[in-house]
Amino acid sequence: MGFSVSGSAAIIFAAMFIAFGMFYTATTTSADRVTDATDDWRDRSLDLQNAAITVENVTVESSGGTYAVNATVLNTGGATLAVSRTDFLIDNTYQTAFVDRAVEGDGETDLWVPGERLTANMTVGSAPSRLRVVTDHGVAATEVIA
Amino acid sequence: MASVSASHLIIFIASILVAATVAGTITATVADMSQSLETQGVDVSDQIATDFAVITDAGAQVYDRDGAENVTLHVKNTGSRYLPDDASQIDVFVDGEYTTDVTVTIVDGTAWTPGSVARFDVAAPGLTTGDHRVKIVAGGHEEVFEFRL
Repeated sequence: MGFSVSGSAAIIFAAMFIAFGMFYTATTTSADRVTDATDDWRDRSLDLQNAAITVENVTVESSGGTYAVNATVLNTGGATLAVSRTDFLIDNTYQTAFVDRAVEGDGETDLWVPGERLTANMTVGSAPSRLRVVTDHGVAATEVIA
Repeated sequence: MASVSASHLIIFIASILVAATVAGTITATVADMSQSLETQGVDVSDQIATDFAVITDAGAQVYDRDGAENVTLHVKNTGSRYLPDDASQIDVFVDGEYTTDVTVTIVDGTAWTPGSVARFDVAAPGLTTGDHRVKIVAGGHEEVFEFRL
C-alpha cells in the first residue's frame, strides 16, 4: 500500500515538473517577444516625436514639355532622418526617379541630420501644383506650388 | 498471505494507472496552454510592430486619376516588420463598404518592407461629389483616409 502511494506521487510529481518546465519556457519566450516589440515601438514613437521637416523652397522650370522641380527641405526636428526613406509625391504621383538628391551638397550620404537641407531634383510631364514630402514614421510636409 | 500480496499488487497497478492518467492529462493540458501562450505572444508582438500611414495628399487628385474610377492611395510602412502586399490579406472599406477590387503595388521596391511605400488602387465606380473615407486594415492595424470630391 505504501509503495503504491509513493509510486503514484512520484509520477504526479514528475508530470508537474515537466508541465511547469513547458509553461515557464512558453511564458518567458512570449513575454520576451512582447517586451522587444514594445521597446521597438517606444523607440519609433520617440523618433516620431523628434521628427519634423519644413519645405523651404520649390522651384519649377519648364522646358520642351517637361517640368524640372527642385525642392529644398529643412530638417527642423531633433532626429536624424534617412534620405532613402524620404518620399516625394508631386500631385499624388510617387516619385521614383530623381535627377539628384543631396544633403547640403553631398549626394552620397543617406543621413539627413537636424538643421541640414535636403535638395531633390525631379522631372514631371505636366505642370505641378502640389508637392508632398514624407520622411520616416510618416512625418509629412505639403507645399502648394504657385 | 498470498492473497494479501495479490491485493497489494492490484492496488499498486491501479494506483499507478490512475497516476499515469492524471499525469498525462496534466502535461497535455499544460502543453496546449503553452502553445496558445506562445502563439498569442507572437500575435501581440506582431501587432505592436505593425504600423503604416496613408501619405497621400488629400488636397490633390485622389479619385479617378487614370480614368478607371479608382481611389489611389499611397501607404507607407512605418512599423518595424514586413507587411503583406497581397491584396487578399488586406481589408479595404470605401465609405463603410467592403471592397475586394484592390490592387496593391510596391512603388519603391519589391516587398513592403519598413519604410517602403505601397500604392493602393481601390475600385470605387461612380463616387459622387462630397466627403468620402477609405479605411485600410492590415496586420491588426487600421488607418482611415478622408478626402473630398
